[in-house]
Amino acid sequence: MKISKKLSENVLDKLSIDFLRNQVLKNAYGNDDTVIAGLDPRILIIWYLFFGLVPWFANDLTFLLGCFILVVITTRMARVAGLVLFLFGIGVFSQTGYLLIVTLFFGGDASAVVPLLILTLKVATVSLASVTIFSGLDPDKLANGLMWYGCPERLSFSISYAYRMLPVLMEEFQNVLLSYRLRGNPPDNSTFRGKIKYLAYQIKIIIQAFYPLMLNTAKRSRTTVEVLEIKGYRYASVNKAVKKIKLSSMKVTNNDLLFLAISFLWVAVTVLISTII
Amino acid sequence: MNVIEIEHLTYSYPGASDSTLKDITVNIEKGDFLAIVGNNGCGKSTFCKTLNGLIPQFISGDFSGTVSVCGLNTAETDVGTLARKAGYVYQDFENQIIRPTVLDDASYACLNYAMKDYKERGMSALEKCGLTGKHNDYIWQLSGGQTHLLALAGVLSLEPEILILDEPIAQLDPGHADRIYNVLRELNEKYGKTIIVIEHHTEYIADYCKHVMLMKDGNIKWVLPTDDALRRVDELQECNIFPPQVTIAAHRMKKSGKMEPDVLLPTTVMEGKDVFALKENTKVKNSVTPSEKTEIAAEFKDISISYRSVKGAPHIVYSDLNLNIYKGEKVALIGGNGAGKSTLMKMMVGLLKPSSGDIFLYGENIREKKPENLSRTISMVYQNPEDMFIKDSIRADISYAMEVRNIKDTEEKTESLLKRFRLTELKERDGRLLSGGQMRRASLAIGIALNPKILLLDEPTANLDIATRKEIMRTLNDLKEITETVIIATHDMQLVCEWADRIIVLSGGKVIADGSRNEIFGNENVVSTSGIRPPEIFEMGQTLDKNSLCYTIDEFLESFEGRRMEDEDIEKIIGKCAG
Amino acid sequence: MSTMKKQTATQSQKLMVFVLTMAMYGLATLFTELIPKFQVGIVEFSVEYFLFIPLTLAMLFDPMSAALGAATGELVFSEIMLGQFGGLGELEKFITVTIGVYIAGRMVKDPKNRKMVGIAAMTGVVIQQLLGTIVDILKVQFAVEDFEAVAGLPESVFATEGFAFLNDVLFSGILFCMLPTLFLVPKLNGKIEPLLGMQTRSEDTYIGRIGWKVILGSIIAFGVAVGAEFMAENGTALIEWEADWAESKTALAIGMVVAAVVAIIIILIMRAKSSNYHIEEEGV
Repeated sequence: MKISKKLSENVLDKLSIDFLRNQVLKNAYGNDDTVIAGLDPRILIIWYLFFGLVPWFANDLTFLLGCFILVVITTRMARVAGLVLFLFGIGVFSQTGYLLIVTLFFGGDASAVVPLLILTLKVATVSLASVTIFSGLDPDKLANGLMWYGCPERLSFSISYAYRMLPVLMEEFQNVLLSYRLRGNPPDNSTFRGKIKYLAYQIKIIIQAFYPLMLNTAKRSRTTVEVLEIKGYRYASVNKAVKKIKLSSMKVTNNDLLFLAISFLWVAVTVLISTII
Repeated sequence: MNVIEIEHLTYSYPGASDSTLKDITVNIEKGDFLAIVGNNGCGKSTFCKTLNGLIPQFISGDFSGTVSVCGLNTAETDVGTLARKAGYVYQDFENQIIRPTVLDDASYACLNYAMKDYKERGMSALEKCGLTGKHNDYIWQLSGGQTHLLALAGVLSLEPEILILDEPIAQLDPGHADRIYNVLRELNEKYGKTIIVIEHHTEYIADYCKHVMLMKDGNIKWVLPTDDALRRVDELQECNIFPPQVTIAAHRMKKSGKMEPDVLLPTTVMEGKDVFALKENTKVKNSVTPSEKTEIAAEFKDISISYRSVKGAPHIVYSDLNLNIYKGEKVALIGGNGAGKSTLMKMMVGLLKPSSGDIFLYGENIREKKPENLSRTISMVYQNPEDMFIKDSIRADISYAMEVRNIKDTEEKTESLLKRFRLTELKERDGRLLSGGQMRRASLAIGIALNPKILLLDEPTANLDIATRKEIMRTLNDLKEITETVIIATHDMQLVCEWADRIIVLSGGKVIADGSRNEIFGNENVVSTSGIRPPEIFEMGQTLDKNSLCYTIDEFLESFEGRRMEDEDIEKIIGKCAG
Repeated sequence: MSTMKKQTATQSQKLMVFVLTMAMYGLATLFTELIPKFQVGIVEFSVEYFLFIPLTLAMLFDPMSAALGAATGELVFSEIMLGQFGGLGELEKFITVTIGVYIAGRMVKDPKNRKMVGIAAMTGVVIQQLLGTIVDILKVQFAVEDFEAVAGLPESVFATEGFAFLNDVLFSGILFCMLPTLFLVPKLNGKIEPLLGMQTRSEDTYIGRIGWKVILGSIIAFGVAVGAEFMAENGTALIEWEADWAESKTALAIGMVVAAVVAIIIILIMRAKSSNYHIEEEGV
């Protein structure tokens, strides 16, 4: 009973698309003036490679805790939108929290808890590191950074194009859903049965909404692809000179080095502490 | 010198049985400012796409004849090189913008063609388009007009000799439209660009363009200097093009013998000054009787609302708005882009909740009501009709709201709506695949399907050519009898003048004027502060006589006639036109 | 000359399909990422799969572009834009989604044949889920040291993953993939193609049966996904420290700290200097 109530309420809240849209836009565009956003994407990618990979392979509790604290700080610095952090919490729980319960259920004891705690720390650190750079960094800069490391041009194009189209698509989706809302007649949701029905109705509507949305977007993408042709996208994607010009806009500054060095110091100190203990 | 030379161009789209362009031969001179006119589907856009090589290189199909742009054959030169000669701004210009920030988009093409000074080129293009200082903004922060200017800047950055614009002002308020055309004029005069626009608004053609090209059924009928072209009133109207109102007025005077036959038809208000004169003994009459204020249909009480913004403080749209709409009123909401018209409508249908204050519909507070439960009282038709189509046929779309409410006789009601809006033939088609006018009619039919007491229409005539607009206007007049209270948000002042009996002017979240059309347009103060522009014929009347208030050509003809002219007057006019 | 023209046209069409699928599926996954998952016991009810979107498009248009577009869309919109990028796991998802959608798209000869569409949709989901489950099990095995030694863990992992697989296939697969695909494909067929300026798929324009190449390619791609995980596992040894090395490790750590401090001081001085320089410059 309680679960189902929460269930439908949750979906209802989340389906206030306006709120979602605001959070997503905030996350994508709202924090371009933070320290993290000002850093060079290449440096941040290196930083991320460390904090996104190393924790997976380390099993030392102190070290993991140290890394975790550091990424918590950087996440704060990146001013990540609340919803993203909330999702992070849910994500960590669903990845390892449930394992813990199930392990106990199958007759596991305390010996299973420590590895799972370590696993949780690993997941949390890695996720927060990615939240820091992917939420904190302007996607367009990120795309440039990835290109510098030789990622396919198509990927970096996709990132910046998504960055541009996101608000437009969201608005369109919202409008289509509003049409359903205004003209539809959802089942009454005051009873338990009604709530389940209401939830099913909502999901059905979302799926149906993709029919108009696909056609509308198809119309758009035709113009977009023509324009890409005129603006020389195809020409540029095979031209090395263009890539060079594009990448020359990135500069490593002292701030970047400082960021890297402080992170390094932090890690060194945690390693030191862990060896002393 | 000819910048474009076309010989025997014939083209048909892949799979199409009929040619879209038929044996076109034409030359366009360097430095021209050319308007292309013609009814929907006559091949204007297709013609323009042959100029930058998209046809035949990118869009295949049967292509014959030669098109040469700046001496380059478009079938053989690659699209990139041609883009530096002829730039194209789409009608759905929003999709033309690919990069997330302004300067990025303006310089994108230059970057792709490996120009080292791409940033400077982008900046200078922005400057030419009057977007200086916006270069770090995100695209979604721009207004509609600015977005269009950016699309233009993106094209301009490659410094093409020719600029082609497909209906550049279709969705803009007059302030923004003027800005676009002034930019184009400057590009034409100061930088010597050849400019080609596809345009329905003949007043703008009269003010800005040098030549007009009329297309009909995939063919070019003629290319003439603007004044000569616009004076061919009958021929234009045959192709669903409506010359400026002053021209039509003079043409009708001539026909009825109220104006001397050898007078040249005026095309602008300035020229009109010399040919029209006030009839003797005409009284200025107030044609609209104010409606009786009876029952309140909608009431706004101390409404405040603001939007969450991505960064910084929320954007306040209204604070302490108080407004009453009475039953049976036909209200026009006017004001520039961003004045809060759509917000007001969305609050009425319950899609937005005001942060404080209450809205009452027929005395009922809607705060606690769900939007779906309001839909039998109030209904809204979006600006973009495509967002109204959620089913795969317009019949299904119209009947949807009735069906889910188990309304009796849904079938018959749907049929009768289809008939009323002349959609019966099209009922199984998907709404999106219809033409502009059909789409609009279908969206209106969807809007009134539940027979609401209040109908809200957001820009019902935007993006339509004049002929379709007239048709929609007729439909709206029909609607007056079905729906008691109708509110329209619009930039279209002809629609306002011919249809509304109450006009509410919004500016900066405040009602700055509210009254009949005489009270609004007759008040210079209101007109100048709100940036609204009365129809041309009204301006004409005002120029001739300060006290005249005529909103339609018919009203104008009642008060004015052709000027009795002496010979030297005629010479003076001829001299003026030639100059 | 004429062959060149043709290629350009198909390339642009592929790009269109790619952009369309990316935008649509990306948007959908963005929302699913935002809708919390519900757990009732160990059964997870997640609206995770809007896979019907790329499935539909892959059946109507070029399957490879749709498959890549979908995988990229998910990566870009929900992972990168929301900052939910999960490192290695994403590569696996990218590849499994691509394979699932591509094979489903290739299976459909004629979009009007509803039976075919239904079977293809289910096949796509089963392939994607099965590959995902295999990788998931391997992943936990790598991440938790002494996987076999922890009491109850292997059983629980197999049980939950196996259950999740069945649950996803039956729940998400039927409700969110097969039914919507069956709903959308016939509706869009014949309407969306002209919008993109393309021909409708039919027996004549169908690109051909799934050959060995496709299967081989899929296996290789999946191998890459698994291989990435294995390589990572081998890397573990490099970073792991043995207890015997404790003393020298402390020394090493002290060295690291000193190096970091020195680096920071140098950078701070450089920074101070450069800002002074700017002031001087402005002064002049």
